[in-house]
Formats: sequence, C-alpha cells, structure tokens
Amino acid sequence: MRLSDLFKFSLGALGGARTRTWLMLLAMSIGVSSVLLLTAVGEGTRHYVNNQFMDLGSHLLIVMPGKLETTGGQPPILSATEVDITIDDAIAISRSPSIRRVAPMVLGSAPASWNQRERTVNVIGSTADLYDVRKLTMASGRFLPTGDPTRGAPVAVIGDTLKAELFGNTAALGERIRIDGQKFQIIGVLEDAGGAGVGMDLRDAAVIPVATAQNLFDSPSLFRVMVEADGHSAISRAERAIIDIMRMRHNGEEDVTVITQNAMLATFDNILGSLTLAVGGIAAISLAVAGVLIMNVMLVAVAQRKTEIGLLKAIGSPGRQILQLFLAEASMLALLGALVGLIIGFAGVYGLAKALPDFPIGIPYWAPLAAAGTSLGTSVIFCFLPARRAAKLDPVLALAGH
Amino acid sequence: MIRFSKVSRQFEVGEERVLALREIDMEIHDGEYAAIMGPSGSGKSTMLNILGLLDRADSGQYHLDDQDTTTLSETKRAALRRRQFGFVFQSFHLVPRMTAAQNVELPLNLDGVSPRERRDRVGAALDSMGLADRANHKPSQLSGGQRQRVAIARATIMKPSVLLADEPTGNLDSKSSKEVIQALETLNLAGITLVVITHDPSIGDRANRKIVMQDGKIDQDITLN
Ligand SMILES: Nc1ncnc2c1ncn2[C@@H]1O[C@H](COP(=O)(O)OP(=O)(O)OP(=O)(O)O)[C@@H](O)[C@H]1O
Ligand SMILES: [Mg+2]
Repeated sequence: MRLSDLFKFSLGALGGARTRTWLMLLAMSIGVSSVLLLTAVGEGTRHYVNNQFMDLGSHLLIVMPGKLETTGGQPPILSATEVDITIDDAIAISRSPSIRRVAPMVLGSAPASWNQRERTVNVIGSTADLYDVRKLTMASGRFLPTGDPTRGAPVAVIGDTLKAELFGNTAALGERIRIDGQKFQIIGVLEDAGGAGVGMDLRDAAVIPVATAQNLFDSPSLFRVMVEADGHSAISRAERAIIDIMRMRHNGEEDVTVITQNAMLATFDNILGSLTLAVGGIAAISLAVAGVLIMNVMLVAVAQRKTEIGLLKAIGSPGRQILQLFLAEASMLALLGALVGLIIGFAGVYGLAKALPDFPIGIPYWAPLAAAGTSLGTSVIFCFLPARRAAKLDPVLALAGH
Repeated sequence: MIRFSKVSRQFEVGEERVLALREIDMEIHDGEYAAIMGPSGSGKSTMLNILGLLDRADSGQYHLDDQDTTTLSETKRAALRRRQFGFVFQSFHLVPRMTAAQNVELPLNLDGVSPRERRDRVGAALDSMGLADRANHKPSQLSGGQRQRVAIARATIMKPSVLLADEPTGNLDSKSSKEVIQALETLNLAGITLVVITHDPSIGDRANRKIVMQDGKIDQDITLN
C-alpha cells in the first residue's frame, strides 16, 4: 500500500467517525497546549528571575560570615562556627584594587514610630556606597552621608512603603522618628525599588549608618558585605582578593563565603529550569491520559468496524497491513491533535504575553517538539493493542460482525 | 482447480460439537459455474469460506492448483485471497464512508497499484457493471442491486480466477436479482470460475452444476452438459 493511500484511508476512517475523532482531538490538543502553556510560564519565571538578578547590579559579590559546607548547586548551608565580619574587615576589603565599592550591612528589625503610629520595620545599617551598589534612586532628600563608616549619626533613609505607612501624605523629610526608642532624623525617602528586591526588600525598611545600627543592635558583626567589583572582568579577582584579605585578617582561617552573582544566578537558573521540566512533565501526563482515551476509543472503533476489517481480510489484506492502517489512524489523530494543540498553545501564550507585558513569557524551543513527540508516541503505543486485536480477528467471524 | 479431500470442519458451541462439514470430497474445475444449494445449516457457507481460504479445515486436504493450502501461513493465505479469489456477500459489505469508485478501488489500493492504473481499471469495472454514472455515489445512495454490482466490481478488480458468492441475491428483489446473476454469469462466460450459494431454485437451475448439501455432506452433485 502506498503511503499517501494509507493516509487517505486513515483520514477517511477518521472522517467517518466525527464525534469520536473530535473527542480524541480535543483530548490530544488539551494535553499539547497545556505542555506549551506550562513550560512557557516556567520559562517566563526563569527569565523574570534572571532579569531581577541583572537589576541587582552586574558585578556584585556578597560576603557572608561562615564557610559553605557544600559547594555547587545546593542552597547555602553555613557552618555553625561563624566568625564575625567587622567593619574593619569591610574597610580592608575596600582597599583592594579590583574592588570598586563596599557596602557593609547590618540587619535587624525594630519598632519604628512617629506621631503615635508604630510599625515593626527592617532596619538596615550600611554606608553611602549601598546607594550605588544596589542602584537605588531617591524619591526625595539624599542617601546616607559619606564619611568614616565607624562613626554613626542619628539619621535614617526610609523606603517608600514605610514612608506611606508612617506619614501618609505628610512630608517626611526632616521629621524625627523613633527606632527602638532612639531618635532619627529622616534625610531621604527611597523611590519604589520595584521588584529589584532579590535579597532584601528596601521598600519597607529604614536604612541607617552602619555604626549606629551596630550600637542599636549591640553587635559588632556584620550580616554581610556587599561588594561591587571593578568591572565584570574583575569579579573573579575580587573574589580571590576578598578571600585572601579575610584569611590574612582572621589568622589564616578561611571563614567567610563569597557568593558571586553568577553563582546565585546559576543556582536559581537550575532550580527554575528543573521546575519548568517538572510542570512540563505534569502536563505530559495529560497526554498519557489522552493516550488511554485513544486506546479505549480505538478498541470501540475496532469493535464497530469488525465487518470492515473482515472485508479487508476477505480481499486479501494481511494482518500486518491492518495493523498499519489502525496505527496510521492513531498517528494522524495524534498529529492533528498536536497541530491543534500547538495552535491553541501558541495563541494562549501570545494572549498571556499581551496581558502581562512585564512578564517575559516564552515557549522554550523544545516544548513543541516534546509535546508533539509525546502525543505521537502515546497514541501509537496505546493504539497498538487495539490495532493488533484488529489484525488478529478471524475473517469469517469479523464479516459476521462477531 | 480446486480439490477437497476428506475436508471436515467442526464448531464447538459450549459443550456441544457441530459437525458443519463431514469429510467432503469434491473437485471444481477452472471456468465451472456451480450452484451450492441445500437447507439452512447444511454447511454451504462453511464450505465456501474454506474454499475461499477465509476459514481452515480441521482435517482433510484442500489443494488449490495442486498446492496444498492446509499448511500455508496466514500471510500466504491472505496473498492467495488477494490474487485468486473474489467474494460477493449477501449483505454487500461495502464500506459506507467510501464512494462506489473508492470501494471498487480498495483492493488495488491495498495492493499498491499506481493511481493512474487504478483510475483506468476502476472506470472500466464500473462501466462493465453499468454503474459508470454512479461512481461518486455513496452506498447509501444506491439501490440494493447497484450495491451488489459495486461489490461484484470490487470482487473482480484484481482479476481473480474464482468468484465466490454467498447468497448474492438474498437481499434483492427479483429484478435486481436477475441483473446481479446476469452480471456474475457474464464474468463466468469470460472464464472465471463461479461458485454461488443460493436458496432460489430458479437461480440454481441456471448453473451447469448443482451441488446439494445436507447435514455437512454433499447429497447430490449434478453436472449438466
Ligand atoms: N462460527 C460458528 N460457530 C458455531 N457454529 C457454527 C459457526 N459457523 C457455522 N456454524 C454451524 O455450522 C453449521 C453450518 O453452518 P453454515 O453457516 O455453513 O450453514 P449454511 O448452509 O450456510 O446455512 P444458511 O443457509 O442458513 O446460511 C450450522 O449448524 C451452524 O450453526
Ligand atoms: Mg450460509
């Protein structure tokens, strides 16, 4: 039998059983389109997170106290024996030529109040350099003053959410708020940092000089040090410099962890990449379900078309050919279903992209292939049983419809 | 030539055993026109099915042109059916979704004959059955007689040497019956071996040879000259 005739025969058979064909097309196309949609959302999330990291500043390194127990794609687990990083450590790091800026950070939470209104807020102790390291912008006023980081001052810069919550529409600049009982003068309000908050949400925080924060929380140790390398090419040199400097200052002990942005990015990328695969896989299960449906429907088809199969046998069609005819029918169905599913999937993703212009949704190149392949594979595999049953029918009984 | 030697066929229905054919010995020569008659359940269809290699004898031998068919594989039997036999059934067995032309074309199609040759042969076959103007009609748009003639065109499109018809006029009125029998006889005159099962004595009487079955045995076998 010629291939084109095989296709024509199968198409004819599919057209001869409209309802059945539509049902199976529906099942297949739902499966295929959900693979596309879910993987597209997964990939979109991955890109979104990537973009967030890009916003964070491109040559960033983060120094954390303690040594990572493991290396590689695992979430950082810090050893129990932490040794503090101090402001002096941060100053020493900032002297390396491969490092442009250093922003030491202290983190705590404390009650902040103004005019009877009180909120518990994140208090971040840092220096003027945080402004450039985190690529911040001011809504009004100015950021922390430059100068000796070991000297504090009772001033604070607050995020826009905190400003709105404490002051409402009243101007906040120059006002004094109490943080943990101490008075701070507000010298600036940050502009909405948007989603660029991977790491720490500054919208709801008060930023005060690092030395002041150390006093406030009564602790000399830094939460972490954010370091901006002197250009992209200096990142690995900066990493080495930080480790060398810290080892020298801490009696030859390597007791800090330096995370480069690339490493963080790679970790997230890995996690989200597997997430995309996982949701894609879940969607592919619906294709397997469609496969079971196809098997059922084809079993019914074989039963209904017994006399036709008997006739094919009577006119000398060998079992192998009858098997082929039914498998071709399933393949056509799968390919048509995949085609419809691809159209629905692409249209759906296009619609989502229109509805969420900020979300970088996009179908990964492998998803249509995987979806179409799975639908074809399941159809053929699940159709094998019915097709073989058809091929093995006894011609006389089949002609009689038994 | 067809030769049965002690061909038996039995069916098991539950505990019971039905002997549908009991050690049949018979020969049918090329170009013969034989009518098989006999009461219901006497084994006519069973014999025709074994003749056409749709069914297998349980014992005995069936030689087709000196080839023993009893030991052939199912694929070889399918190939013989394709080349040597044409079947015509009481209920036509046309594929309802296909047009008359497509139904006639089906055996050529399955055999991989080129589209151009198919078109010519199907056209000629429908023409010879007086159905040239019905080529694109679906079976549901045809009368019983027309349907059976489409079935005959399909049965002969592969140029078989034997045409087997199991009550081909069983579902037809007398006028259509006559047309169908005439079509079959025309083919026989052109050289094809024709074996027809019928209940209708007037049709049986037209054949050169009349085989009457009874209880799985051949009761009478009369050849006229
Ligand atoms: N598949 C089968 N299973 C069980 N018994 C069968 C089967 N086919 C035929 N028989 C039995 O074999 C016997 C012969 O049947 P067959 O169909 O050959 O009769 P027939 O002469 O063609 O009858 P009719 O004129 O009614 O068509 C009958 O008793 C029938 O019941
Ligand atoms: Mg019968």
